[in-house]
Amino acid sequence: MANFLALLISLCLGPVPQQAVLQPAVTQGTESSGVVGRFTVAEAAAEIDRLFQQAWQASSVQPSLPATDEEYVRRLYLDLAGRVPAVSEVRAFLDDPNPQKRAALVEALLDSPAFVRHFTILWRNALIPDAFDDFGNRRMIPGFEAWLWTQFSAGVPYDQLVRELLTAPLEAGGGAGGPALRTASSPLAFYAIRELRPENLATGTSRAFLGVRLDCAQCHDHPFDRWKQGQFWSLAAFYSGFSPMDAESGMQMVMTERSDSHSIGIPDKGQTVQAAFLEGEQPDWSGGRTSREVLADWVTSPRNPWFSRMAANRVWALFMGQGIVHPVDDFSENNPPSHPEVLQLLADQLVAHEFDLKFLVRTITASRVYQLSSRQTDPSQADSLHFARAAVRGLTPEQLFDSLAEATGYYQPYRTDNPFVIAAETPRATFLDLFRDEGESPLQRETTILQALAMMNGDFVDAATSLENSQTLGSVVNFPLMSDEERLETLFLAALSRRPSEAERSALLPYIEQAESASAALADVFWALLNSSEFMLNH
Amino acid sequence: MAIQRMSRRRLFGLSGLSLLGTSMSGWLPRLAAQVQQSGQSPPRSCILLWMSGGPSQMETFDPHAGHENGGPTKAIETSVPGIRIAEHLPKLAGQMQDLAVIRSMTTKEGDHTRATYYLRTGYLPQGPLLYPAMGSVLGKSLQREASDLPACISINPFRALSPAAFTSGFLGPAWSPLVVASETGAENDVSFRVRNLKSAARLSGQQVDERLRLLGVLEQSFLAERPDVPVRSHLQSYERAVRMMKSSSVEAFQLEQEDAALREAYGRNPFGQGCLLARRLVERGVPFVEVSLNGLTDAAGPGWDTHADNFKAVADLCGVLDPAWTTLLTDLRQRGLLQNTLVIWMGEFGRTPKINPNGGRDHWPGSWSAVLGGGGIRGGQVWGSVSDDGMEIRDNPVRVPDLMATICRGLGLDPALTNLSNIGRPIPLADHGATAIEQLLV
Repeated sequence: MANFLALLISLCLGPVPQQAVLQPAVTQGTESSGVVGRFTVAEAAAEIDRLFQQAWQASSVQPSLPATDEEYVRRLYLDLAGRVPAVSEVRAFLDDPNPQKRAALVEALLDSPAFVRHFTILWRNALIPDAFDDFGNRRMIPGFEAWLWTQFSAGVPYDQLVRELLTAPLEAGGGAGGPALRTASSPLAFYAIRELRPENLATGTSRAFLGVRLDCAQCHDHPFDRWKQGQFWSLAAFYSGFSPMDAESGMQMVMTERSDSHSIGIPDKGQTVQAAFLEGEQPDWSGGRTSREVLADWVTSPRNPWFSRMAANRVWALFMGQGIVHPVDDFSENNPPSHPEVLQLLADQLVAHEFDLKFLVRTITASRVYQLSSRQTDPSQADSLHFARAAVRGLTPEQLFDSLAEATGYYQPYRTDNPFVIAAETPRATFLDLFRDEGESPLQRETTILQALAMMNGDFVDAATSLENSQTLGSVVNFPLMSDEERLETLFLAALSRRPSEAERSALLPYIEQAESASAALADVFWALLNSSEFMLNH
Repeated sequence: MAIQRMSRRRLFGLSGLSLLGTSMSGWLPRLAAQVQQSGQSPPRSCILLWMSGGPSQMETFDPHAGHENGGPTKAIETSVPGIRIAEHLPKLAGQMQDLAVIRSMTTKEGDHTRATYYLRTGYLPQGPLLYPAMGSVLGKSLQREASDLPACISINPFRALSPAAFTSGFLGPAWSPLVVASETGAENDVSFRVRNLKSAARLSGQQVDERLRLLGVLEQSFLAERPDVPVRSHLQSYERAVRMMKSSSVEAFQLEQEDAALREAYGRNPFGQGCLLARRLVERGVPFVEVSLNGLTDAAGPGWDTHADNFKAVADLCGVLDPAWTTLLTDLRQRGLLQNTLVIWMGEFGRTPKINPNGGRDHWPGSWSAVLGGGGIRGGQVWGSVSDDGMEIRDNPVRVPDLMATICRGLGLDPALTNLSNIGRPIPLADHGATAIEQLLV
């Protein structure tokens, strides 16, 4: 039912003129009792649309046109399945007369293993962002991904997922540094990449789950913000029970934890502080809970506004390219949200829906703002802060490779015991390494020369665009009943999920028809499609 | 300039207008900078000889013969009276007049990952700040003119110890090091290649151009409606990649153009030939080149990490290092390049003065050696010293920011020059509070 409403709304929005004022489906706002009402997807999406319409009007911004079905299907597959759609999937969607097909596709993808896989990678990037920087830490990544995979495939609510992470016993998986983690499912990489240091875990926890950057407060009172050094170390004190790592060897040979430890000395200050929550609230130590359990209970509480706002902002950023607070984990008085009411609505509804991330996914994808085109039709759309057109953003390396594999028909062999363990010499591993991006914002994604060379001349794309080795190209060229025009169209659908424009048709078709070898000309076209920024970006 | 504009046009088959977005962020500012800077002093370059794993100071530049910590390593005289180095570097001993040995490097970082990051960026890892490797930041600062080759080229890097220490960090991909890997063929014939620089052999040059023209057709409309950073950067990097594919500058990689005797003198191994390549790149105006000595083969690991059997391992590595570095200095000097080329030798830390039961030495960040030489550096001296047992610094301790500041000054750069970081804070070339060692500078 909810989806039906969402769809109706999104469909109604499509052809509506840009200046039209949208009426929310329901007029109720947040309830006065302080308990937030539970919106349906349609109600929440409508409220977001109303808030954005207001904001655009207030800033004299003209939003872009609605995304076409071609734009939408590609974006949705990339955002939910982590890859571009197959030619057959594009055709099926474009030809589907069902007026509810956009919401139906959201549901179908949310139920697919590809969604679990893609969300696993996105949240791995969010929770252990530096894991690839260190040789020793890299081997822990598959175990962390396997753990996330089990969480997402079981539909574990977000608060429970975080609670499990924050209270994970050290022994699980054979110790944080143990070789067992190569395949064992465990969240302990979160601790290992922070070297089990209380100060690193404090910054990691506050950034990942509270959206607060305390890093500077580790050494001194924050110069621009209100965080004081004492507050930082009070948070670190929850992690004070870990035995320090061996500094010389850098190894975690023997790990122990005094689970009731909740005080810590500030280095070089001779001062000891007691564990306290972010804004100085004192923990309740009754009930025999461990320090990390006490911390986890506070972090994941529905009454902790930092937690739900950060989660809502993260999910928004995953779909819109940029957080309502940007950077996504930098909530601060000096960095106010661009659309505070939208953020609050998403946070409140996340709590009201018991931290079901899929509720946010359904809501955001049903909103008009998600379903805008990325085309800039008015200069007022230039600033990405307005969300007045869909963001043009970089792909994760996994999205890029899986899209290449889909477009070219490359079969990816996975290990059966843990599909996240990648053999070092596979094309996938080589690609992921080369396209791993250090930057924070996908809106600022830049390409290196080596990446460009790999796409232009590398073995993988070369094989994909040679007649002998490419599944997609081979079948297009060899299928006897296709006209050159249909062949061109199929290659466009495979790479860009759309049919060629008139201009493209008139530029490219003669190239194929007049070529000495039409199949070689098709290979050239396919090469150009795979190397285009339209293929290599989400938009 | 005219030629470049032509090739750009041909590449994308577009009118100048539609690529204006890329032009603005691409080569126009560089041309402008070039005009401003013409008439200044000759361009300076920097070569970093990076010793992955942390080389033993006791077996290289700070031998302690006679003390039990010194082990069997003997000291030898050099071309500068009074300065003695380890017996494993006999050829280099003849170059001491151009080298300044620092025997008092000191940090607190005994872990490969953190120490590698520290020495290669000049900064400790700190939260969200992505510091660039010194090669990127110095290459950017030193680059004078638009070039077909990148400003920072990294030969045979072993990155696994700290991948973040080998990136351009907050400077962005435009300043990423170009990675070059060696391949050793039959009879120790070492060659170098930039991966994927050549199109597949079955494609003719004309076909490659046709493909680029088709790509231009696709990009034209996409860019026109989406003038965003990822699109412009995509076009810019393709343009630079194609320029390099077609450039005559890449003949720098063809070492077979060199005299066989000279190639022999550098050493027929990846590091030796890498040093020769470094000279050829510097000759062509590349401002920063680094050559890693990881081990004796192409894809070796951190060979200087000599926890066991230290003495043989270091002697073997020095057998590669000594002729390569020596020939690099003489070759640069003969070509008049040495006075404008600063050569750095260092790893991420030194080794424990005490010898462990496996005949090895472990990580030792407290007191170790690094060497500067060539352009901008006052050679023929030793800076700092350690106690007889090698465990403590006796005088003139040198911190990493001080070393960075000294390198900057040697290259004619103000260490206080800043670049804007990813968190919006300007970051100086050398960390705040750094002091260049005046005595080491010309």
